[in-house]
Amino acid sequence: MNKKRYIFIWVFVCLLILASGVAVGQKTQNAALAEPVVVSPADKAAIDAFEKQVKSYIELCNKVRANVPKLSTDSTPEQIHAYRTTLVNSIGSARPNAKRGEFFRPETADFIRRTLKTEFQGKDRQELRETIFETETQGVVLRVNYPYAQSAELSEMPATLLTKLPQLPKELRYRFVGRNMLLVDRESDVIIDYMPDALP
Amino acid sequence: MRRTHTHRLLFALLISAILFTPAYAQRLNAPSPPLKLTLPLKDGSVRFAVIGDTGSGTAQQREVGDMMIKYHALFPFDFVLMMGDNMYGGEAPQDFENKFAQPYRALLDNKVKFYATLGNHDQALQVNYENFNMNGKEYYRFTKGNIAFYSLNSNYMDKKQVKWLEDELGRETAAWKVMFFHHPPYSSAKAHGSDGQLREVVEPIFLKYGVDVVLTGHDHVYERIKPQKGIYYFVSGAGGKLRSGDVDKQSGIIDKSYDRDLHFMLFEVAGDQMYFQAISRTGETIDSGVITRK
Repeated sequence: MNKKRYIFIWVFVCLLILASGVAVGQKTQNAALAEPVVVSPADKAAIDAFEKQVKSYIELCNKVRANVPKLSTDSTPEQIHAYRTTLVNSIGSARPNAKRGEFFRPETADFIRRTLKTEFQGKDRQELRETIFETETQGVVLRVNYPYAQSAELSEMPATLLTKLPQLPKELRYRFVGRNMLLVDRESDVIIDYMPDALP
Repeated sequence: MRRTHTHRLLFALLISAILFTPAYAQRLNAPSPPLKLTLPLKDGSVRFAVIGDTGSGTAQQREVGDMMIKYHALFPFDFVLMMGDNMYGGEAPQDFENKFAQPYRALLDNKVKFYATLGNHDQALQVNYENFNMNGKEYYRFTKGNIAFYSLNSNYMDKKQVKWLEDELGRETAAWKVMFFHHPPYSSAKAHGSDGQLREVVEPIFLKYGVDVVLTGHDHVYERIKPQKGIYYFVSGAGGKLRSGDVDKQSGIIDKSYDRDLHFMLFEVAGDQMYFQAISRTGETIDSGVITRK
């Protein structure tokens, strides 16, 4: 009888340890996935500076677009091609001295890197990271004012990440090329800025 | 010199052996299966086709287009939903012709409308293309009969798009709610598979507002996913590119799959019934069935 009770207690204790281990493991993983990025006053200032820069770009772009024949919503391929070419050249001309780091300043880059590090934790996010690395981006020249190569694939921007990054106006897009994060003009696909080694 | 002759002779023998094997001859001479329509052709029904990952510009893509026009004669569908990757490897004017207009010329000439969504190989300005009917928008909604169709941009599901989707679904009055976009929230395919992070964001919205059917592409196969939390998911990503043998049949999430050839789909909605038929490039019916709206 005593022996049976002894075995029962041991089995019970083992199950308890196992269950608590699983629960802790799950909690750790969930916590890692759900962990919000802490936004300090310094981060807030960095985000504000980034948004101010974005706003000034949009103002500049609106002036550029005002001088480019408007593209209708039922355009021919030739019209689309001509519009894109004109836009690429006009944006380049409007920002002749543009250089890397104007938008992704060190403080903004630091905030974004921390956000990415938090977002890309966990097994499923590891797979997502691999998917981004597998994106066929051959032909993309990482240079400000250069258009993103038309033949290259676009990496999908993770929906969960986009909810945590500063929201961009419809004219701009975040995009990954390998570990680098790009800021791209949506219509012309011109690279406005980029941040090397953004992904952990 | 003698060696070159020997090589030529061996090469000729090898080619002859391949050409005259029964399997190859059978493939060359294989008659197409007779066209078989499983859809009921009910009066007043909404009829449409679905194609995905089409823009390769290959002979096979054109053959799918040819088969679609043959079925159009049997089943006159009014419009086609495109699941994205409408153009691979460049978007010069000639690409629009080779990878879209030419393969589907007969359908376009028959006034069949195409509604596109953007894939990971598509440039943003496709939204302005006259034949894609996107009205300059990356995500949009339109209705046909008692169905509301939502085309989403799954490349870039930002807060703004999520809000738009919630707002639109919140005031939706159509009986059927059908989503179509590129990346599949559920897929068994080995190349890409389920897009977990996209699912994390959109699935709660689909459930909250009673979405019925989700149509996607990206994986170059056909998959009818087992209903997930009451929603029917299809992957139709082999309209122009095929990843042969890519389906993971052991995944446990598929009801029916096909990864041996290109395909397209036909749908007919009549009242609370949605009939579907998946057809291969050669005209073989690879899946069919009916979904009843709850």
